[in-house]
Amino acid sequence: MSTLAFLLNQSVNALSQAALLFFLGVGLTLIFGIMRIVNFAHGTLYMLGAFVGYSAVRITGSYWGALVAAPLVVGLLGTAFEFGILRRLYRRDAHAFLMVTFGLALVTGEAVRLIWGSEALQVPAPALLSGVVFLLDEPFPVYRLFLAAAGAVMAFAIWQLLERTRLGLLIRATSQNAEMVHALGTDVNMIRSAVFGIGCGLAALGGVLAAPLVTASHGMAASAVIDAFVIVIIGGMGSFLGSLIGALLVAFVQVFGNYYYPDFALAFMYLLMLLVLVVRPGGLLGKEA
Amino acid sequence: MRVTSLLGPLALALLLAAPFGLPIFAMTLLTELVILGLFAMSLDLMVGYTRLVSFGHAAAYGLGAYASGYILLNSALPLPFAVLAAAILTGMIAIGVGWVCTLATGVSFSMLTLAFAQLLYAVSFKWTSVTGGSDGLAGIPRNPGPLGLEVLSTKNGFYYFALACLVGSFFLCRALVRSPFGAVLRGIRENEAKTLALGYNTRLYKITVVAIAYALGGLAGALYSPFAGFANTELLFWLVSGQVLIMVIVGGSGTLIGPILGATFFLTLEHQLSSYTEAWALFFGLTFIAFVLFAPEGIWGLAKRYLGQRAPEETEQAPAAITKAEAKPHG
Repeated sequence: MSTLAFLLNQSVNALSQAALLFFLGVGLTLIFGIMRIVNFAHGTLYMLGAFVGYSAVRITGSYWGALVAAPLVVGLLGTAFEFGILRRLYRRDAHAFLMVTFGLALVTGEAVRLIWGSEALQVPAPALLSGVVFLLDEPFPVYRLFLAAAGAVMAFAIWQLLERTRLGLLIRATSQNAEMVHALGTDVNMIRSAVFGIGCGLAALGGVLAAPLVTASHGMAASAVIDAFVIVIIGGMGSFLGSLIGALLVAFVQVFGNYYYPDFALAFMYLLMLLVLVVRPGGLLGKEA
Repeated sequence: MRVTSLLGPLALALLLAAPFGLPIFAMTLLTELVILGLFAMSLDLMVGYTRLVSFGHAAAYGLGAYASGYILLNSALPLPFAVLAAAILTGMIAIGVGWVCTLATGVSFSMLTLAFAQLLYAVSFKWTSVTGGSDGLAGIPRNPGPLGLEVLSTKNGFYYFALACLVGSFFLCRALVRSPFGAVLRGIRENEAKTLALGYNTRLYKITVVAIAYALGGLAGALYSPFAGFANTELLFWLVSGQVLIMVIVGGSGTLIGPILGATFFLTLEHQLSSYTEAWALFFGLTFIAFVLFAPEGIWGLAKRYLGQRAPEETEQAPAAITKAEAKPHG
């Protein structure tokens, strides 16, 4: 394998990994920006997305159906959780959110075990995406390319949503000054519900996209929530662009670290995070110092 | 005489008498409870008194557990000295941790502590010559001594040793939070900028309290590995950090007693639920959510309200010039 082919191969690998991490991180950072909540349940919702995706494939018979159904179902659950529980807590301190989302993670994790069992479940990629293509004479799975493309498309779509639409305007305004938005006659609670739902839905989208690659399993949750935290901390809490940069950095460090120094691959990500925080305590694009 | 001032001696008397009345499996549970109570109490120094919310207190537990396990396996050092050495080592490492983590404040501080704990978690898999990798350290003995004393290696002897560590640490922490040092910590909790403006080097105070909290958390971990006979990577996992934080908050943060009650509640609930149902985590999660919604002041807060008392901790004030920080608007 030529050096160029190798670098290309690993880079596409990293980009597809970055796409999954981005779906996790962007939801977490949007939720934090609007609500100042650290959502401990984010990894569990990612896992839930994979399992809902598995059922959706079996019911609709189509992977594309699952791609729509999983984010929708999990997003609605997230909105319901915000509406029923989080909404009562906005006057309380961060401890309350930490505990309540930790409780949600426990409940969801156990509910998944009760509904789908403890086994890892295979979610097959559709035939269209399951082959390989040749890049510089090296075989490469189409699904990875699809993931990288999906990440790019979604990143662009979310960016446009935030910059160009009325909802995006309200989201940005609320993250800067919620009281003022409220005083100007917008129901801030509706925005919070929407953003929490969107964030949870994005995590689920990541989960269902990851499922053909790693199978739907309970182990997904723990590593996902930590990865999501790391991305958001590196990028800066509440920053959309930061979560994109964080996901790319972490993915490249993971993929190349795994290749060159497999023994230390786990440590690299945390070292990167420590380094960023020592230089910029608020994260690369964060406001808080 | 107030009701609450009688509770302490009564609880202590019950704990001291426990080995004479309880069956062996209950003593195992009680010993674990004493260790976890100490672990949760150590975190309360940071969370409850200084508002340094650590997401990575498993680092202290795991460090202490591995250190005492390694010492006991590789030397003939008597149990109490090995445990103490592990706690001191953890505290010394924590000076470095505190130095790095206090570069940040708020959520970033929490995340840095988490990063450090996860870094240790990753290291514990790879540094096999010391940690045993994914197998962990097994067969950790309770070395006899000092002076040829065998009593500490028995089940009940070990329980008394752990209890002595808990009670000793409790009085140490109580003296600490009632001292001028503790007043500065509460000043940092209420309004760090003002405390800094009054001329206190708040960062130095924060590093100190991190070191003390880690040393006591390390003491708990150092007790755990000879208690269980093993130390593994699970002890460093972030879930442990999450659980101990929940214990502190469910029990009532900023009270020292609260976290011990929180640990009791946590362990009892886990034990009871897991004997009734496979899906205990479901009810566990629901219980926590209910606590947040309906009993935000924690178990100790509920108890005080029920007894119509105020614990002395609550009436202690930060230095006079430091008042409550203005409530920050959410969002």
